[in-house]
Formats: sequence, structure tokens, C-alpha cells
Amino acid sequence: MSADLLLPPRPVLGAPRVGILTPRRREVLPSGMRTALVQSGTVPVVALRLVVEVGSAHLAPAQAWLDRLTHDFLREGSATHDRAAFADALAAMGGSLDVEGDEHTTVLRTQVLAEHAAEAAGLLIGLARTPRFPAEETARLVADQQRWAEIAAQEPQWRAHATFRAALYGRHPYATVLPQAEALAGFTAQDVRDFWERHGGAGATVLLAAGQFDADAVVEAATRASESWATPAAAAVQPAQASDTRVVRFVPRPGSEQTTLRAGVPVPPPGHGDYIALEVANALLGGSFNSRITQNIRERKGYAYSPNSQISTRPRDAYWVESADVTTPVTAPALDEILGEIDRLRASVPPAEEVASIANYVAGVFAIRGATLSGLLDHLEFLALHGLDDGYTAAYEQRVRSVTPTEVWRVARDYLRPERLTIVAVGDPAAVRAGLDRFGPVVEG
Amino acid sequence: MTTPAEAAAFRVPVERLTLANGLRVVVSPEHSAPVVCVAVYYGVGMRLEPRGRTGFAHLFEHLMFQGSRQMAKMELVGLVQANGGLLNGSTRTDFTNYFEVMPSHTLELALWMEADRMRGPVITQTELDNQRDVVKNEIRVNVLNRPYGSFPWIDMQERAFTNWHNAHNGYGDMVDLDAASLADARAFFDAYYSPANAVLVVVGDAEPADVFAMARRYFEAIPAAPPPPRAEIDEPPQEAERRFTRVDPLAPTPALAVAYHTPPAATPEYYALGLLHQALAEGDDALLHAELVSKRGYASEVDGGINFLGHMHNAQTPLLWCVTLVHDSDVTADAILESFDEVIEGVRERGLNAEALARARTKARASLFGTIADQYIPGFGLADLLASFELFEGDASRVNDLDARFTAVTSELVASVARDYLRRENRVILELHAGAATEAAS
Repeated sequence: MSADLLLPPRPVLGAPRVGILTPRRREVLPSGMRTALVQSGTVPVVALRLVVEVGSAHLAPAQAWLDRLTHDFLREGSATHDRAAFADALAAMGGSLDVEGDEHTTVLRTQVLAEHAAEAAGLLIGLARTPRFPAEETARLVADQQRWAEIAAQEPQWRAHATFRAALYGRHPYATVLPQAEALAGFTAQDVRDFWERHGGAGATVLLAAGQFDADAVVEAATRASESWATPAAAAVQPAQASDTRVVRFVPRPGSEQTTLRAGVPVPPPGHGDYIALEVANALLGGSFNSRITQNIRERKGYAYSPNSQISTRPRDAYWVESADVTTPVTAPALDEILGEIDRLRASVPPAEEVASIANYVAGVFAIRGATLSGLLDHLEFLALHGLDDGYTAAYEQRVRSVTPTEVWRVARDYLRPERLTIVAVGDPAAVRAGLDRFGPVVEG
Repeated sequence: MTTPAEAAAFRVPVERLTLANGLRVVVSPEHSAPVVCVAVYYGVGMRLEPRGRTGFAHLFEHLMFQGSRQMAKMELVGLVQANGGLLNGSTRTDFTNYFEVMPSHTLELALWMEADRMRGPVITQTELDNQRDVVKNEIRVNVLNRPYGSFPWIDMQERAFTNWHNAHNGYGDMVDLDAASLADARAFFDAYYSPANAVLVVVGDAEPADVFAMARRYFEAIPAAPPPPRAEIDEPPQEAERRFTRVDPLAPTPALAVAYHTPPAATPEYYALGLLHQALAEGDDALLHAELVSKRGYASEVDGGINFLGHMHNAQTPLLWCVTLVHDSDVTADAILESFDEVIEGVRERGLNAEALARARTKARASLFGTIADQYIPGFGLADLLASFELFEGDASRVNDLDARFTAVTSELVASVARDYLRRENRVILELHAGAATEAAS
């Protein structure tokens, strides 16, 4: 090494600067709507989310994607603003409307210049409360969903996800993530209205905001906009009973360039005493760049580009799943390595240094995400969905850093059980199918 | 809380220093959270890579994670994670970037790691072969194994541009990737990864004086090197409309892309096109959305943008303003183009009305603020802008001129740019045919 390239030794670091937990202004408005508002950052923008507790779990299997159709119908405007007027009004504040949802929520999102925070909040609440749902737009909006469904059917990740969910959840609404073509064609604006009004209302809605904005004005606008918005009786979703036996499903996709893999198992949900240890175990096993599975099948074997594991959560329900798109000829060897890494973690307590490092990563990323508007709002949504309070946030980083190697090993041993794994492979039948037999009886389709 | 006047006056602090070896250092302090973003940008991207080596800039990006003089393979990733940070890298049109977002007390470690990496990767054939496989899997998952995988970015660039640099597939041909050798990697590093071809940006909870002192300590001993070979990226003017079709074997339903060559970057005309983009293609109030989605029902979304691998502020020109939509098989591309042209010709004849222009300006400002505030990675959106202005205009602090550049655009200029650039002779049309249509219908 030439002298001019010499790098001074790796620096010794000082003490961390402790972040101050940004106070949240939480209120329950007279209508029953809840708010959580956080001042954050220095840029004069505000991110707003109106979270309405209406989701796909409220639908029967034949109604799959009625929630997605509802998202598009919401973009058709409110009693006071038709589609064009709504879009123009929001654009004049610098925003546009996004509507997304999951099993339990529908979320109206926007980000506008800070001076328009109150006005934008009022607009979103007005939309959720008095959507137009114009019947004359039904054919067009249904056709849009049919197009998305056709595309989803061509994407291997969608097919893997759909098959995984069906295998894991059986007859529960969580099992259905793709629509039935005939049912989708028959959806009406009245179906959308019934779905929305049966479950939506002030008492089932949370307004979240983060950024630089006038919180008093937002609370006042939300109070006015939600006044006397009725709340229907809460609709209970039956708890899910996830599959806890070994299942292997193969979805033939002739000529597929890769095999899309899923391997997952039910785990305890947020709020459970083991959940945070599971988060650390997940980051160590497959949920981070430096994780064991990623090191193995990407950095040593080159089988996949972005293998990744995650914990997918719903209220009182969760599963852990590893996802990977692997080179077709190494499908079975890749699955061997994934299952092998699960076994290795279950077999012996991981080194203390590895666990400390990964816990630092989980805690650090939590703090980093919390320094962004979207990350803050994601966390506030998470707390609302799982019935957790601000104490959870305050204690989180310390709790993560206190997770011990034995805890990581124990939660892996207790929950990531090979005999309970649901395994899905979407790939080229000629190249892949025969190699799957050794993972268990294979069900096709 | 802010007033509109304060929003217009919003500026980010920018301090700059150039080291003796030519490395430019840019710092923008922001202390609201104990987090810092460290980003190193090298002035070589997908279109600047040398001929005969398609995909090399991107493959080389992967190699920069495979070990250096002081860090074994994956040690950098492990150090970032163990210190509570996250990291990534990406290869874009005109640069390759590497960044870490870390707790601010670990700033010096992040600089040390990037300084070691700037001294060059230390790798063997094993790491090269491994990352070649990873990159091929990246191309399979993002392009080859999914519908619309190369649409529009690879497909349109290959057809709209005539200069190899602009036209070639920056993800790379498998043949070129297979041919890449360790000697190529060495030569590529020597040519493109010199300090004078790089910008180091620090955004967040850090003091500029501290950053400058650390930059000197860790980076200044890296020897200066000659500037990289200059890639000639000019395009000859397009004289007539060009139209292409391509069959995507995995697409269940057709798609259409229309692209116009943009004015040169940093000119008033370029920002006028930026406002036209906001008015025509951004958000539910956009004119093309109103016509093609809401009125005609041809598609559920109209997507548009300048720069397939980023946005209008983080690449050089030539670029394309490209609008795409996915539509049903029972409507022809010609029928969609007829409606599309009604909108475009209306703007070419009459420009934008005062209200639409005001909304376009507001959306441009909000988009800029959104980039600075960033969605999920604190500091990175601003770091990207600062590095881009340092690389392409020679002064990162010009990021603070952006709002004024949009505000200075008059309605007359918008109308004349619409007339001059949204001409049919200046555009390229690509019809994507649905190779999987029959299968999907059955």
C-alpha cells in the first residue's frame, strides 16, 4: 500500500445524542374522531392521513377488490367538490389525493404546503363523510380494476402472495387478495356505498398530521368538518386461524425466468410480549442486508437479488415470511439454504455481538424513520391499528436493545417451526416442479 | 407555522469546500433530529459508461460493497447496521451514488468508510462472479420476469435517442456482463472514481466546520487523478415524428408511451417544460388525466416524467418528457393519440390559463419541498439535489434558486415552449403490444 493512500485508523466514536421524542397532540373531537398531530422537520409542508377503519377484512370472498374499487370511487369527489373541483382544490395547495388500504383500513393521504394544512384536513374529512360515488362512473372504474387484476395475474409476486395467503388463512377474509372476475364485473356504486357507510364514521376515523403547521387550526377544521358525522356500530372481524401445518404449494408459470418463493409461518402480533424479540430475530435472519439468509443466498451464492423477510401484521394477527426471486435452476438449493438458516438459528443461541449489532440496527432504523414525515405517520398508524399508546414509542428503542441472544433463539425455536411452514413456489414447471417433492407433499395451483 | 411568503423564501443552508485533490464537499446542517445523511456521488452513470461495456457502471456499483483496503466484504454493511444506520447505492443517468443515514455521533465513521471505499474496491474473481450473478438476478426480477419490465425506460431510450450513450440499455446486455473482468473493474475505477469526479455531501445534524475537518483528515490524502474521459452525449435534432411498436410477451394488456425531447437543462425553457409537465401529467387535476382517465376512461392512470431514473433536477440533458398509460385492447393507440393531441394542441394554441399555471407553480414548489423533506430517508432527498447541482452546475447552493426559476417562467414562455417542444416532429411514439393478452383472457 502506498503511503499517500494511508487512511487514519477507524475513529473512536463519542456518545450518541439522544433524540427527544416529539410530543404528539392527541384529541378526541366531539364527533368521536381522534387526532394525532406532530410538529416535525423544518420544511414548510405537512403530510396528512385520514385513516378510516374500513378494510378488505369486512368483505366476503366474492367481494374481493370491492375495497380497491372504493378507493377509486373516493377520487370522484364529495358533496361540496365534484371530481374536478376536488382535484383542483387540492392541487392549488400543492397536493394530490392518494387512497390506499389494507385489511382493516382505508387511508386518504396527501401532502400540501404548510399554510394549507387546515383547509386540506377539512377537504379530506368532507370527502370521507360525503363521497359522491357516482353510479355513472361504475363501468369505467370497474374496467380499471379489471385491468389491474389482469396485470396482477401476470406478476409472479402477486401470484405467490395470493397463493401464500390462501394456504395460510383458508376461509378467512385475509385469504383472498385477488378478485373473482365475474363478481368484479358485477360490482355497483351501491355496493361501494354500502361497504363504506356500514363501517365508516367519525368514531372509526383517525386524522394524522406531521410537519410544520398550525395544529390549532387543524383541530378546529377537523372539529367542524366531522361535526355530527355518525358512527355505525363497530363491525367485528372474526379472528383469523392461520394454518399451522407444513404446506407446499406450486404455481406453474411456464418459461418463468426465476422462481418466486415464499416461506412463512404465523407469529404473535404487536403488543405480545415476544413481538419485539421477533423483530430482532427477523432482522437477524432475513430482514436486513446483513442478515443470515441474505448473506447466504445473495452474497455467497448469488441465487437472488433482494431476498427479504418481514413480519406482516394485522390486529391480533401476524406472520413471518421470507420472500425471494431466485434463478430457476437453483430453486431447490435456494429453498434448502433458507430452511437451513431457520434451522441454524433454532439450533443454537446466536453470538451476543451479532444480536447486539442487529438490535442496534432495528432501534436505529426506528429512530431514522421517525425523523421523516411518512415514517412518523406510519408509526402513528401502527399504534392506532394495534391499540398501542405513546408509551410504546417511548420505550421501544430501549426494549429492542435489551433483547438477549437467548430470547432471539427462543422465539425462533417457539415460532419459526419448520413443521408449520407454508411454502409457495411460482416457477417453470419443467425446471422446478420435481425438485420440490422433498419439501413435503406438493399441491399444485 | 408558515405563511405563503415564508414558504417562498424557504432556503436550505449550504456550505462548500474543495479539497486539494479536487473532491468537492457540501454540507447542509439541520439539527431537528440526531441523524445525519452522508452521500458520495461519482460523476459516472448509466449513459456515461464506455462503449462495449453496457451495464458496467451498475455492476461496478455492486463491487463497491465487496470490500476495500480496511474493510472485508460486507464489513461496511455490518458496520453501518451495527451503528444503527441504513445504507444503499444506486446507478442513475449521470451519476452513481452511495449513502448512509446514521445516528449523528457516528458521522466520522461514515466518512472513514467512504474514504476507504474511495481508495478503491479490493476484490477477487469470486466477488466479481458473485455480484455478476446478483446483477443478473436483479435484471430478471425487475425487467425480464415481469410485464412492462423494460417499458418505458429501456424501450423508449433505445428508440428515441440516436447517440449510443443516451440510447443503450444501462442495465447491460448479459453478453457484456459475462465479459466483464477484474482488469475492467480496475480500469473503470481509475478512469471514473477519482476525487475530482466526486462530490461528498453531508446533510443533517452536523456542523460544517467539523465535516470539513474530517473530510480533510480522511479524504485529502487520496491522490488527485486526471478527469475522466468526457462522454459526448449530444443528440442531433429530431426532424420528424417517429413511431415504433414492441410486443411484450408478459403484458396482458397494451400500453402507449409518447416522449418529447426536452429543452437543455437549467434554461428558462426547461423550467417552463417542468411547469407544463405539472399541468399536463402530474396529479388528478392534470389536463391529460382529466381527458384520458376521467373523460375517456382509456386508462386508470397517466404517468409522466422527465428522466426515467430520477426527476428533472438530477440529470443532465438530453432527456425526454415521457407520458405513458396502460390501456385496454379494445381501444387503439390512434384513438388515444387523437384525444392526447386535442389536449396538447390546445395548450400549444392557447397556453395554460392563469389558474392552471398557478396550480402548476404550486405543485412544482410542493414537489421540491417534498423532495427536500423526503419520504422515508431523512436528508437523502436534499443530499441528492445538492450533489446534482454541484455536479451539473458547479454550485450546490443553486438548489436555492429553483423556486425562483419556476416563478420566473411567464405564461408567454410556457406557451412558446409548448409550441416549440410539444411538436409532433419532436416526439417519439411507442406502442407496446400485449403478448400475453390471449392467455390472460382464457
